[in-house]
Amino acid sequence: MFIRMIGKAFFRQWKKMTMIALTIALGASLATAMLSVMIDVEDKINQELKVYGANIKVVPKDTSVIDELYDVGDENISGAYLKEDELGKIKTIFWAFNIVDYAPFINTDAKLSDGTKVDVTGTWFNHHMDLPTGEELDAGIASLRSWWDITEGEWLDEQGNEDPYRAMAGAGIAEREGISAGDIISVEGAGGSVMLTVVGIFDAGGEEDDIIYVPVDVAQEIGGLEGRIDSIEVSALTTPDNDLARKAAQDPSSLSVAQYETWYCTAYVSSICYQIEEVITDSVASAVRQVADSEGQILKKTKLLMILITILSMIGAALGICNLVTASVMERSQEIGLMKAIGAHNGAITGLILAEIMCTAVAGGVTGFFAGLGFAQIIGHSVFASSITMRPMVIPLVAVLVVLVTLIGSIPAIRLLLGLKPTEVLHGK
Amino acid sequence: MKKRKMYIRMITASLLRRRTRMIIALLAITIGAMILSGLVTIYIDVPRQMGAQFRNYGANMIFTSAEGDISPEDVRTAVSVIPSEKLVGLAPYRYETVRINDRPVMAAATDMEGAKAASPFWAVDGEWPEEGGQIMIGKNVAATYNLKPGKKMTCSYLPEQEDVMDNYMDFTVTGILDTGGKEEDYVYMSFEDMEELTGESTAYDICELSVSAAADELETISQTINSSAPSLTARLIKRVTQSETTVLSKLQALVLLVTVVVLALTMICVGTTMTAVVAERRKEIGLRKALGAGNASIVGEFMGEGMILGAAGGLLGSVFGFIFAQSVSMNVFNSSIILMPWLVPVTIAASILVTGLACLIPIKSATKVDPALVLKGE
Amino acid sequence: MSLLELKNVSKIYGDLHALDHVNIKVEKGEWLAIMGPSGSGKSTMMNIIGALDKATEGEILLDGEDIAKKSAAALTDIRRDKIGLIFQQFHLVSYLTAVENVMLAQYYHSLPDEKEALEALDRVGLAGRAKHYPSQLSGGEQQRVCVARALINYPEIILADEPTGNLDEANEEIVVEMFNKLHNEGTTLVVVTHNPEVAEVAQRTIVLRNGRVDHETVNENFTGKIKHITLM
Repeated sequence: MFIRMIGKAFFRQWKKMTMIALTIALGASLATAMLSVMIDVEDKINQELKVYGANIKVVPKDTSVIDELYDVGDENISGAYLKEDELGKIKTIFWAFNIVDYAPFINTDAKLSDGTKVDVTGTWFNHHMDLPTGEELDAGIASLRSWWDITEGEWLDEQGNEDPYRAMAGAGIAEREGISAGDIISVEGAGGSVMLTVVGIFDAGGEEDDIIYVPVDVAQEIGGLEGRIDSIEVSALTTPDNDLARKAAQDPSSLSVAQYETWYCTAYVSSICYQIEEVITDSVASAVRQVADSEGQILKKTKLLMILITILSMIGAALGICNLVTASVMERSQEIGLMKAIGAHNGAITGLILAEIMCTAVAGGVTGFFAGLGFAQIIGHSVFASSITMRPMVIPLVAVLVVLVTLIGSIPAIRLLLGLKPTEVLHGK
Repeated sequence: MKKRKMYIRMITASLLRRRTRMIIALLAITIGAMILSGLVTIYIDVPRQMGAQFRNYGANMIFTSAEGDISPEDVRTAVSVIPSEKLVGLAPYRYETVRINDRPVMAAATDMEGAKAASPFWAVDGEWPEEGGQIMIGKNVAATYNLKPGKKMTCSYLPEQEDVMDNYMDFTVTGILDTGGKEEDYVYMSFEDMEELTGESTAYDICELSVSAAADELETISQTINSSAPSLTARLIKRVTQSETTVLSKLQALVLLVTVVVLALTMICVGTTMTAVVAERRKEIGLRKALGAGNASIVGEFMGEGMILGAAGGLLGSVFGFIFAQSVSMNVFNSSIILMPWLVPVTIAASILVTGLACLIPIKSATKVDPALVLKGE
Repeated sequence: MSLLELKNVSKIYGDLHALDHVNIKVEKGEWLAIMGPSGSGKSTMMNIIGALDKATEGEILLDGEDIAKKSAAALTDIRRDKIGLIFQQFHLVSYLTAVENVMLAQYYHSLPDEKEALEALDRVGLAGRAKHYPSQLSGGEQQRVCVARALINYPEIILADEPTGNLDEANEEIVVEMFNKLHNEGTTLVVVTHNPEVAEVAQRTIVLRNGRVDHETVNENFTGKIKHITLM
């Protein structure tokens, strides 16, 4: 009979029930979308902030000391260097997944055919790597220097063309030397002389405008520096620093075992630096504060902003649902009066109405949940051009929200109506 | 008695005497209006607030000069072009090679307060120099000479004229600078100390500016400066300005989309609540029809109610929305939000519109119903 | 000429002939009762006479004007100008006071006049309760407000649908008393009821059965007073 009554209620009042279900669906979809976006926003913005370039710089240990103490003068034979064959190891550290991009740099002095001294830097442009994990990665300055304006020609593409003897020239030197895209220049260094095709001219708005960039192998050949790397720039997704991270950055050995575990297993910029130092022989990895700190700030603010907006929209959705449920329960005063008059106990009436509304809420909630996932994806794709990761934790959150809000919306109204005398209600008061 | 007077009397009676229902409706509209005004305020203010956060990336404009030296007067003239509330930091620098233990080190003279504002990401272990005779040294310099905050050190300067003796000056190290960049190889002192050390009056080599403005605005500012102060060249630091534009536009798009989604859903929510509230009164509409009320007249009465509710809810919502936006701003950005008075009428108009539309649908459908059926049955 | 004349009026819902070629005449100033068991077509008849519903076929002449083919809007005007309705469930607007409920009818008809509305309430003996809300009035009092509302615009016909259905005997008597008064003032009254006591008071009673006029009785010794069947 109970089920029959509920069934009748649905059948008779399908319009009203649809409306409640619709409102709950809207609320649930809003909650789902906002929660999904909120939880994912840190990752997304973190990705976006990668346009600022590397946040970690790896240099050989004691470069400065050796430079300073022995003043060898000739940078090319500076004692400290990183090994090129170790580069791949960066993608094997504990937080390898968070390393989104990196590029090695090797600097060498060279002369153009007319004798002008130029700085030549070897690097990766869009170096393709097949990682042992089966992942593929295109790393290099094409993404690490996203702010470069290509004024002529195009980015040097390492993958499409087999010819390594190509170069990109900064706008400053290109203007001084009259180099334009397509030109072939001769560059001579300590290791020998090569002919390079200039594929592109870039405007970096800084010191890099005076440098000629070539692939790593070519720079090593020019400078006679086979297998050597001067520095590595790493772009990693990091967690904003906290006190623990700051303490660890000073001296990891000052941490307790538990703190060390926490620190090592959190993507702080300092723990990633530490892990890079572990795999690259004789290296010092340090945070580029301009990028790392600012990232932390902006991530924190964005996340907080999204949390507050999410809370607002949740409150809005909750009140909206509450309101409608209350309105729909209030409307049934006559029915409740009648049920009381024919001898239904308060518990039975409450049970019946709650069961009805809960069925509606579940239907609405499930529909809304999937609609919300859709909304989240729309936001993800139109803002970040990537999908928002669906987190399982959203499901219980939304479920609890819907159930709680529906109960809060209906119980006070039911209690209020139960408090009325059946005679009053039936006499249309 | 005028007809209008009875109209008003009926509407006020309905609003005041059906208190529970009206509060439910008003609450729904207020929430909607609050979300509208709150989110729109945040959306409009986000670029400004977030822009300030992006200033953490440091200088986005530099002044250089073709002749090498920039005089402080030129800088003052140039800076006057920038609205003072947009100028976050201004740090002039002069670089000279000095010697520590007879080994060359690059020394920079700067205005410490300006540097702090223009490069907020500089992490100093110890204190910034505050008075003469104090020096801040880069991390690498500290490692090379094994210096710590509080230690004393001596710098020497070799003047260009060969016949002049080296100048020596004692400094106390107040802090060690950690930036992850080339600054770690420099030492920083005040202009006064630099003058004393070199014995020359110092002009600036370069000026770093942190200006809170979007890329196009910065472009305009730099052009204005270049034309008004020809002795120096203002250039944008592309890495910072371009990246800021990229990220900020994404952020703004995010907030916009979120605002649109939230608003759309909220408005539908308000709509369904209003629909429920009006649908409840089908019987009353039937009665009025039986009494000889024309459809237009019924629509007019119910819409009048709805619009009053809409206006009241819109007004309340604007107030709460502003309070909400303000608390978000205080919590997230520690700065107060800009009050946008035009948003109040917009919010009120929007809530009247949404409420009106939400009421219109059930009223229209109710007026189509046969009064006889409404009056007879449930 | 009769005030109201139904000629061959039928109302068909699907297969159901709620009214089947009915012919009725109501004279000006007449007090007519329409009786019949449930499902006999009383309510349909009431709705059609009250211009609340349209007939499927036939002619309905009110004041010599055929209203059968009029549009919904025109019917609304007719209800407003010529008909006063009294309902079994009273149908008062809950948030308006007694006098405001009366004024509501004035409002739709012409201009609301509080003094006139108060006079109308006085006529039904409710002058003292004008500022009360429906929920503060007894059933009988509510029905009297309903009567006051029905006659405020001096309609051609007052149409009462089970006016005593929700009332006890005492209130029933008061309402019938009021009808008598209205009748004496020359108002045309059509009372739809299944209560024989109420029907018998009228000058003439039409009994419907299965959508047709079953028979018609004329009250020879019309007094306008209710005769209670007392169980002795």
